[in-house]
Amino acid sequence: MDRNLNSTAPLPTEDDAPASQSRRGFLQIAALTGAVLSTSGRRAFADGDIGFHAKDLPDEKLVDMYRTILRIRWHERTQADQMLANPDYRGYNHFYAGQEAVATGVCAALRNDGPFEQIDLVYSTHRPSGHAIAKGVDIPKMVAEDDFRATGLNGGYAAEMHLSDPSVGFIGADGMIGPGHVTATGSAFAFRARGSDQVSVVFGGDGTYATPQFHSALNNAKLLDLPFIYVLENNLYHQYAHYTYSCPHKDIADAATAYGIPARVVDGQDVFQVYNAMKEAVDRARAGGGPTFIEAKTYRYYNHWGAPGAKEGELGAFGYDPLAITSFRPEREVRAWMQRDPVDICRDTLVDWGVLDEARAAAIEEEVKAEIAAAFEWGLSQPLCNPEDALKHVFAEGTVAARQFG
Amino acid sequence: MAQKSWMYAVLEAVQYEMREDPNMIWIFELTPPVASNPGLPVINLETEFGRKRVCNTGIDEYWMAATVLGAGLAGSKAATYIPYQGALMPFELIQNYAGKMRHMTGGKASMPVVWIIEMTGQTPGFAGQHSCYEEDSYYMHIPGVRTVIPSTPYDAKGMMHAALRSPDPVVYLYPAGLRTLVEEVPDEPYEVPLDKAAVRQEGSDLTIVSSGAGMPEVLKAAETLTAEGMSVEVIDLRALKEMDTETLVNSVAKTKRLLTVDQSYYTLCPGAEVIARVATNVEGAKYKRVAFPDAPPPASPEMFLWMRPNAEHVIGAARDLV
Repeated sequence: MDRNLNSTAPLPTEDDAPASQSRRGFLQIAALTGAVLSTSGRRAFADGDIGFHAKDLPDEKLVDMYRTILRIRWHERTQADQMLANPDYRGYNHFYAGQEAVATGVCAALRNDGPFEQIDLVYSTHRPSGHAIAKGVDIPKMVAEDDFRATGLNGGYAAEMHLSDPSVGFIGADGMIGPGHVTATGSAFAFRARGSDQVSVVFGGDGTYATPQFHSALNNAKLLDLPFIYVLENNLYHQYAHYTYSCPHKDIADAATAYGIPARVVDGQDVFQVYNAMKEAVDRARAGGGPTFIEAKTYRYYNHWGAPGAKEGELGAFGYDPLAITSFRPEREVRAWMQRDPVDICRDTLVDWGVLDEARAAAIEEEVKAEIAAAFEWGLSQPLCNPEDALKHVFAEGTVAARQFG
Repeated sequence: MAQKSWMYAVLEAVQYEMREDPNMIWIFELTPPVASNPGLPVINLETEFGRKRVCNTGIDEYWMAATVLGAGLAGSKAATYIPYQGALMPFELIQNYAGKMRHMTGGKASMPVVWIIEMTGQTPGFAGQHSCYEEDSYYMHIPGVRTVIPSTPYDAKGMMHAALRSPDPVVYLYPAGLRTLVEEVPDEPYEVPLDKAAVRQEGSDLTIVSSGAGMPEVLKAAETLTAEGMSVEVIDLRALKEMDTETLVNSVAKTKRLLTVDQSYYTLCPGAEVIARVATNVEGAKYKRVAFPDAPPPASPEMFLWMRPNAEHVIGAARDLV
């Protein structure tokens, strides 16, 4: 909150790193007790000096985070290639490239496997593929689902915007803007009522600020001190409109402060900053300390969405734009943000910390590319849906009647 | 007169009314009020009338709907374009506030207000939450609100003029699947009534009734059936509230056979109301109802396209009836 972030330009570089590590022990304790963030949302320590949680993680966990970022990136790049080059590919996607560090940092601080009654729940948006991968959704099944296959994650009923896998706590994508937020507070309410230490997390975009549900979710989460974490990915644009069309605050986190909720603005391009903020939020929620709001400043490299039939270099940054709005943001802004790529930042940090060397980092990327290529090979060879199955799953039992034949 | 697209025809009407009435406002989110058409000037309401009157707002459809209602109650003509994502978000405002306002104030409230509400979901792939073809059933249920659903660019323009000039609040449904339709549309303003069905084709063996996005497939089916020798009367409802009972009853009194076709869910689809009105007025007729099954539209094209009523379904049902 105290960082003077410029919402239309890239964030400060790595050179603005922690000035002091000496207060690290104190901060760790303070964070666990929830004392670091006052209800005003102001931080009690030096800007950027929050590197300790991630820095204390085991190497294996840190490398996992790097892998997750790469999986999201290469899933998306492979899918974009399919849209451009494979005439049989049918899936569409709301692109997440550029934002990978947010999903990865958030989900790395959560409980993602184990019995359903113990894992943390994530409510996603219409831009869900990064969240899904970070939460642990099976990528080959997701690839199959995105291409409407019968053996996909949700049997071909969902496609990208309704991906869901409760077995890893991924309640799912919400194609609408708003309803998921209030619903996520309901899960948090249930956790508190049954004495569980689970937490409920919702991802939202900058466009959600304007919705009544945003405000309802924050107000009720604070009133009831729910174990609820709101992760707002401010990528500056809802569809093709800058967020200043719908929000009067430079930092949307200011709104959470007004609701009495501890809030933090983080560099959404740096997975370890996201993780650190999230770790504090999760610790607070599990300890009964109530909700937290995290605003991650980030950027969407591609257009709002992409679909088959895209042509490279035509109509926008990715090449496909159904509304043909090609100049909704400056080219210089896109390029400037790409200079602070979450993949690069993660890799460089891990090399700097001595967790990886460049050769190992490159080898991991090759492994991930192969894994994603295999996921697409499997996913796109799955069977298509059986038409009559459309009448199933309306209720728990049975099928409904066909009515289209009169 | 020129070949015009749907949205160009509609915005031509809005532009005319906004030029006539300097108080009129337009609220939108995400979808700019801009249309172009070959050989005609670009229409851009935002640049022409300025952001005080034409406002791009955040994602809050309830606010959009309430704001135009409030503007109307304050004496300003007002319209808003609510895209498909939020098609039913303002339902409560329209149903419980606007719909009851005139009656519960003993006729004192005046509401020169139009909610243009998109209907999408005829394209396989999106489905689920991005499909809202059932909203005709919800909005047509509300007393006190005129609900209309044009199916051609000509009607879209004429009904927009009529809606903007009506003292009653109007839900103006826009089946987005029809956005690619182009036809001859006059340049000058004209009105198409908000309470009259259109007989698109006259016949004596069978009456087919549909509306909005159902119409293109119905017309296609009628062409095939006519070529086979069946005499088919095709009625485009256009007005869901108030429904034009007279045109429906007169037609079925003649044909004695009624087939309704809806993209909406089977239960309480507009065709259900059509059949009820006809059945209570015509003796001895036979009926069939083609509609989307009572299931949310799935994403898979194989499932979705099988479910969505099309010309083949209409032809099959017509042959069964006649």
